[in-house]
Amino acid sequence: MRFGFIKRHSATLIVYIILAVLILATSILSDVFLTFRNLENLLRQVAPLGFLSVGQTFAILTAGIDLSIGSVVSMASCLTTGLILSREPLVFPVLVLVIGLALFIGFINGMVISKTGVHPLIVTLGMMSVVQGGILLYTRSPYGSVPISFDFIAWGNVWKIPFSIIMFAVVAAVSVVFLRLTVFGRYVYATGGNEEVARLSGIKTGRVKVIVYMICSFTAALTGIFLASRMGMGDPLVGERYMLDSIIPVLIGGTRLTGGRGGVVGTIAGIFIFTILSNALNLLDVSAYWQWIVEGLVVIVSVSFYFRQKG
Amino acid sequence: MLALDKVDFSCNTGEVHAVVGENGAGKSTLMKVLAGAYRPDGGKIMLKGKEISFSSPREAQRHGISIIYQEFNLIPDLTVAENIFLGREPQKQMGFIDKKMLYERAKELLENLGVHIDLDVRVSELGVAQQQMVEIAKSLSLKADIIIMDEPSAVVSGKELESLFRIIETLKESGKAIIYISHRIDEIFQIADKATVLKDGKLVGTVDTSEVDKPTVVRMMVGRNLSEAFPSRGKAGEKKEVLELKNVTRDGILKNVSLNVRAGEILGIAGLVGAGRSELARVIFGADPIDRGEIILNGKRIKKSTPKHSIASGIGYVTENRAHDGLVHSLSVRKNLTLPILDRIKKWFFVKEGQEREFSKGCVDRFNIIAPSIEQEVRYLSGGNQQKVILAKWISIKPSLLILDEPTRGIDVGAKSEVYSLMRRLAEQGTAILMISSELPEIIGMSDRILVMHDGEVMGELFPEKTSEEQILMMATGQEGKTPGEE
Repeated sequence: MRFGFIKRHSATLIVYIILAVLILATSILSDVFLTFRNLENLLRQVAPLGFLSVGQTFAILTAGIDLSIGSVVSMASCLTTGLILSREPLVFPVLVLVIGLALFIGFINGMVISKTGVHPLIVTLGMMSVVQGGILLYTRSPYGSVPISFDFIAWGNVWKIPFSIIMFAVVAAVSVVFLRLTVFGRYVYATGGNEEVARLSGIKTGRVKVIVYMICSFTAALTGIFLASRMGMGDPLVGERYMLDSIIPVLIGGTRLTGGRGGVVGTIAGIFIFTILSNALNLLDVSAYWQWIVEGLVVIVSVSFYFRQKG
Repeated sequence: MLALDKVDFSCNTGEVHAVVGENGAGKSTLMKVLAGAYRPDGGKIMLKGKEISFSSPREAQRHGISIIYQEFNLIPDLTVAENIFLGREPQKQMGFIDKKMLYERAKELLENLGVHIDLDVRVSELGVAQQQMVEIAKSLSLKADIIIMDEPSAVVSGKELESLFRIIETLKESGKAIIYISHRIDEIFQIADKATVLKDGKLVGTVDTSEVDKPTVVRMMVGRNLSEAFPSRGKAGEKKEVLELKNVTRDGILKNVSLNVRAGEILGIAGLVGAGRSELARVIFGADPIDRGEIILNGKRIKKSTPKHSIASGIGYVTENRAHDGLVHSLSVRKNLTLPILDRIKKWFFVKEGQEREFSKGCVDRFNIIAPSIEQEVRYLSGGNQQKVILAKWISIKPSLLILDEPTRGIDVGAKSEVYSLMRRLAEQGTAILMISSELPEIIGMSDRILVMHDGEVMGELFPEKTSEEQILMMATGQEGKTPGEE
């Protein structure tokens, strides 16, 4: 019985072993790595990518993908700073508006994908362009400002722990519970595993997808708001690199692009591997271009490893 | 269990050799061994007196063995000629295709076969029978000496089958060896010189078709009297109608289909491939919409049906292509079993896992599903056990109407009779069963009533004790029953 458990979760265990080895190796190679300042810095870097990758995990589990989240991040960051303009009473209503708008974009993504059957890659790529265009019409250069209290999201601490990592922990934990224990979570796996079987089993797969893309956009809004707080200003291009970066931890974490297998627990390890890797290469003074090369190789190696595991 | 147990088989040039047996007898396995798709665990293959072994279908091809599967390996968007020489196109310098040569040689091949198909038509525009001819031409172009045909009559019938037989004769006269797989006795006596009978993976014997009669071969195949295979019918009482269809039409697919099924009754739907039987099942289940007509379930007219509604109102649907759309392979036995009833075992948003486990263990026991644990992903289960999971999944919703599309396809003989008695038991408990089957003995042996479909229409209703396989076939091929256009 115990052995069965280990076997069934072997892929996830391996990701965590790799993460442990990476932490060990980095702390040997760099004496700065384990300092309090570096760890705090590292944990602050986890949040923006972390939210997105958790969202992306949902989309990929349904055999889809969301390429529009990068532009939603940019939108959220610009609108947050641009509408608040340092007026503290406006913080709450603006955040509600920004999150609402993001959810609406996710809703449209999901509706188009489930009603037309067009591949999510195409639909969300189109949406990316629409949203990016819209935000560039709003502002072409970094814009807006936030009140000092707003800094807390990115820079605040609770009992010496960065607030953002607590926020990430909450998002991650809720997602794990959602996917593992709820009926909806089961439907996500069934839809991604075999949509026709899911549909014939009475699951409204269209609705599942709409919710999944709304979750994606929601996490993108969180990242946008976080970045607005970190920079104190909205940047219309800040989300660009997240479009592809958000996918990498999901794949490293063992979620299959073909859907139905994997989960947020693996993605969390993937996020830390990705973040620690770039932190380590930074500490070791490796050029940013080398970092690209290493990250690319990690993706290819890990994904081909899962492929050899037969699906 | 062995798929194939120490079978001896030999075939000569200029001979049509039939390989017969029930589903699961090992016919296809034997052929796949010959064609290089499977490797034997023991034994030898001799070709023209020399021992050979091959590790891939391509190597088998090079030795002159070619196989034509039921599902053709043609590229729909290429033309007939291009398909025949796919991967072996005659070339000019620089690797350009020599189109002229390609068409000339394709033309020659088809002429030798005596068939007339336009060479520059795309394969997607051809009918099934013509596609089969293209496949045959393709294997001839490979210079095959041995051509294996896997149940060709499963996809063609009537006149088309006759012309296939003529071509087989031609091939035989030109010195090819033809291995013809089938479970249809009549055909074998019409076309084959010899017949090798397999049962449960073992060789029963090889006979000359000129020396034995049909009942002998049937006895060899079945190994028992046919009537024993099916459980006896219950008493037909006046029970309430569970499902009624009135003039249900789905444009281009179903035409004015009317039928009814009563509680405790097994309604058999017979017909050839493409007659619209599975499409009918999908429409009843709400998987596809209808354009006109009425569906009445338990006395209530259904306006817009979806699988979710159907399950809620007690319809279970075991699909035909179970390997493809029967199970979510990446989920465990437990999670597959409860997929249609998850709504009933939840609290707030959460699945009640304890109850779910109990339920799944119950299913595993009741249906004798062999799996190391209910947490095992179903893709690691054997085909037979996957089938049991599918049946368990649908029967445990306690359906008032159970649709079974080819319920015994792909399972071995022993499991078959298990399925039959299960169906009968369900019927006795009051479940209405709609059974789609291409196996005529099964249709006649299991159904309380039979509807025969052809080209999207119901051709007529028959009663098993007053009909024959021949009559069903006549209706299924559209030669008997109502005339086109009649209501």
